[in-house]
Amino acid sequence: MLDEVVLLLFFGFLIFMLGAYLLFSYRNMLRLILGVETMAKGITLVLLAAGVYRDNISLVQTLIVTFIIVETILAAIMLGIVVISQRIYGSLDVRLQSKLRG
Amino acid sequence: MLTGIFLTLMLVFILLICFFRDLLYAAVSLAIGSIILSIILFRYAAHTAAVFELSVCAGLITVLFVSTVSLTKNSDQKVEARLPRYFAPFFLLLFAGLSFLLVNWLTGHMAPATLTFDPPVGFRETFWGTRTTDLLGQISLILAGVFGILAIFRETREGRKHA
Repeated sequence: MLDEVVLLLFFGFLIFMLGAYLLFSYRNMLRLILGVETMAKGITLVLLAAGVYRDNISLVQTLIVTFIIVETILAAIMLGIVVISQRIYGSLDVRLQSKLRG
Repeated sequence: MLTGIFLTLMLVFILLICFFRDLLYAAVSLAIGSIILSIILFRYAAHTAAVFELSVCAGLITVLFVSTVSLTKNSDQKVEARLPRYFAPFFLLLFAGLSFLLVNWLTGHMAPATLTFDPPVGFRETFWGTRTTDLLGQISLILAGVFGILAIFRETREGRKHA
């Protein structure tokens, strides 16, 4: 059982770090959203590892369901901002967002 | 063994996001990663979470993403990356080393699972009984999302005249 927990934790952290790499290495806003989604997959794996380790899958399922809802709302809001930003600036470059500073 | 194969497949599809130039392919790659994650959840008897992952993450978010890509196809979608694409495998090795160290440290400091043993109860009892307050948070989040989208796409009277 511990081997599977270690495997889930290892891949969870690795996928989280790949998501962070996507966030820091691209300027296209849609790529940044893909990075956030990738990080969310890693967090889901780490949550699952915690549930497997404690042998309490029911509690972890509720947390994962809540997390999926948070992830979806976040994605919807971010994609809305991308569409509006493209209409205003004609570009998806995240550096243009600095013009929004008041 | 089977879990390891699924996790490796998931990692491959997520790594492909870094390599695909076309955002549609990248979105499909993420969706396949979500499908594999839902299989992993299903294998650990987290059935409800697996269904949510499959329908919401692999389905709804992919549809939203593809719609956004098609809505913004007139723009310069190929904004350059800060780092060249061929750096990704080197970073993968670096991250694998970091994850290995982190997991090693965690396994040395993990409390024994038997210390906080809770009797296993079903998802329904946990969701509606123990975590009832989560529902309030989820409803608030959904409302925040709806109002957020309405605020983003709100059209003023002047805007309508110009349109």
